[in-house]
Amino acid sequence: MMTARQKKKVKSGTSFAVKVILGIIFISPLIVGLAFSVQSEAALVTYPLKLITENPTIQNYLEIFAKVPLLAYLKNSVIVCFFAILGQIVFSSLAAYAFVYFEFPFKRQLFSLVLITMMIPGEVVVITNYVTIQNMGLINSYLALILPSLVSGTSIFLMRQYYLTLPRDFKEAATQDGCGDMGYLFRIATPLSIPTISSLAVYLFVQIYNQFFWPLLVTNKDTMRTIQIGISFLTTSDIISYGQILAGAVVAIVPSVIIYIFGQDYIIKGMTAGGVKG
Amino acid sequence: MSRQKELPLTKRKRARALPYLLIAPAMALFVMFTFYPFIRTILLSFALTNKSGNFTKWVGVDNWVRILTKNSFWSVVGITLKMAAVNLICTMLVAMVFALLATKKVKFSKAYQTMYALPMAIASSPAAAIFLFIYRQKNGLLNNILGTNISWLTEKPTAIWAVCAMTIWMHIGVSFIFLLVGFRNVPEDLLESAWLDGAGPMQRIRHIILPMASPQIFFVVFMNIASSFKTFAQIKLLTQGGPANSTKTLIYYIYENAIINGRFETACVQAIFLFLLIFLFTRIQFALENKVVHYQ
Repeated sequence: MMTARQKKKVKSGTSFAVKVILGIIFISPLIVGLAFSVQSEAALVTYPLKLITENPTIQNYLEIFAKVPLLAYLKNSVIVCFFAILGQIVFSSLAAYAFVYFEFPFKRQLFSLVLITMMIPGEVVVITNYVTIQNMGLINSYLALILPSLVSGTSIFLMRQYYLTLPRDFKEAATQDGCGDMGYLFRIATPLSIPTISSLAVYLFVQIYNQFFWPLLVTNKDTMRTIQIGISFLTTSDIISYGQILAGAVVAIVPSVIIYIFGQDYIIKGMTAGGVKG
Repeated sequence: MSRQKELPLTKRKRARALPYLLIAPAMALFVMFTFYPFIRTILLSFALTNKSGNFTKWVGVDNWVRILTKNSFWSVVGITLKMAAVNLICTMLVAMVFALLATKKVKFSKAYQTMYALPMAIASSPAAAIFLFIYRQKNGLLNNILGTNISWLTEKPTAIWAVCAMTIWMHIGVSFIFLLVGFRNVPEDLLESAWLDGAGPMQRIRHIILPMASPQIFFVVFMNIASSFKTFAQIKLLTQGGPANSTKTLIYYIYENAIINGRFETACVQAIFLFLLIFLFTRIQFALENKVVHYQ
């Protein structure tokens, strides 16, 4: 006979197991990618496919690194992410600070413009931006990859929401102690907003690292491709076997998954802050 | 004397300019990469362009008439809407179940919470590489499992579902997170008093959790519609709009016209049409919000 307490324990244990199994089924495409990336080409063309192989090999990984400049792709992605995130944090902090702490003519209209940018999806202007970049002769440059990602209405909105929660007394006290406007921003508001900035940064990393449409348009030189574009060209190549493609895909997935797993609380905060009312 | 008076004045002037200086970098970038291209897209939709996308000649509403009277354009719009509906329904259903399962925080609940949201962090291009392996005809994983020999991505009835399946898989995470936050915000004492009044789990979900989280649910519905309209990578990587245009959506059509065919004015008309479509759904969202949504 089980006691009520034991029964409860079994019940919660089963529900936990069911939830985890559902999760594993859900992420099974990732497991598939990983499992078959360590199998030989012969194993991949043998029917039936086996998820677990007796003799795993890292040959695919070695060959994909030798055949395509994966490290250069990764380097490009890191450069783009670094400058785009830095730009968004700096520019959105400055703008949000102005909107929260200053009264000036046309403030309302200027803020409306920021909100309007959120109504114009990047996909609508992507073609025209491509023409602009082309006319500027910036195809295949970091500038082309970074420029349109340097600012977003969402990040200004997010920083503004945060500054609004800072008590007004802080600023008054700081001003009385002789702290100027910029001093307040750099020495008090910014340090206090580190958690918000971190959320924004992690959220932006996943978004910018995973970009596809824009980097596809503005790069056509192999060495300027970001990792996502580099990987997408593997499937159309004749000299690359499927195991190697999967190995490349796993390499591309790893950074964002690691950032996601360790930064998920930040991402959730960044995503949901200011997203919905109520 | 006069110098002493001057100093505060210039200082005050500087202080008055400061907010504009703070906003300037952001505004300059917005002008360059959002407002200017948006207006240019509108203008070019009434003009002819050369192969590199620059203006050659005004033609009035000719482009609009030519495109809006084409059946092929409306079938693309139809596919876009159909895919949005399929993506919306499936994404919502799965995300809702996941969020309900994960609402209660227990020891190690982070484990499944992480898994339910994980595809959100996966980029479409490596994901497409994996899905191409799953869908491929020759010894593909799906054919292995089902014992079939179907070319999932190049046959008409299956291609659209195969593309949707990948999109849904990729979009569930974001919806899950928003719903989870909404469900977790439902006050504990409300659920407890309902439980004391004898409400079962289904009743609690229907009468308390769902209405209380309606702002999030509502938001997620429209977010999914918009993100489905903007889905490009899956189509480019899995089907290129085929077979026989059965997976060609508006965003892919825009890309094809501008980049592959060099027909920028056509792409501009379609881009503005896409904008209007998204705008329309945003208006519907705002109009319905006050009627449907329950704010605490």
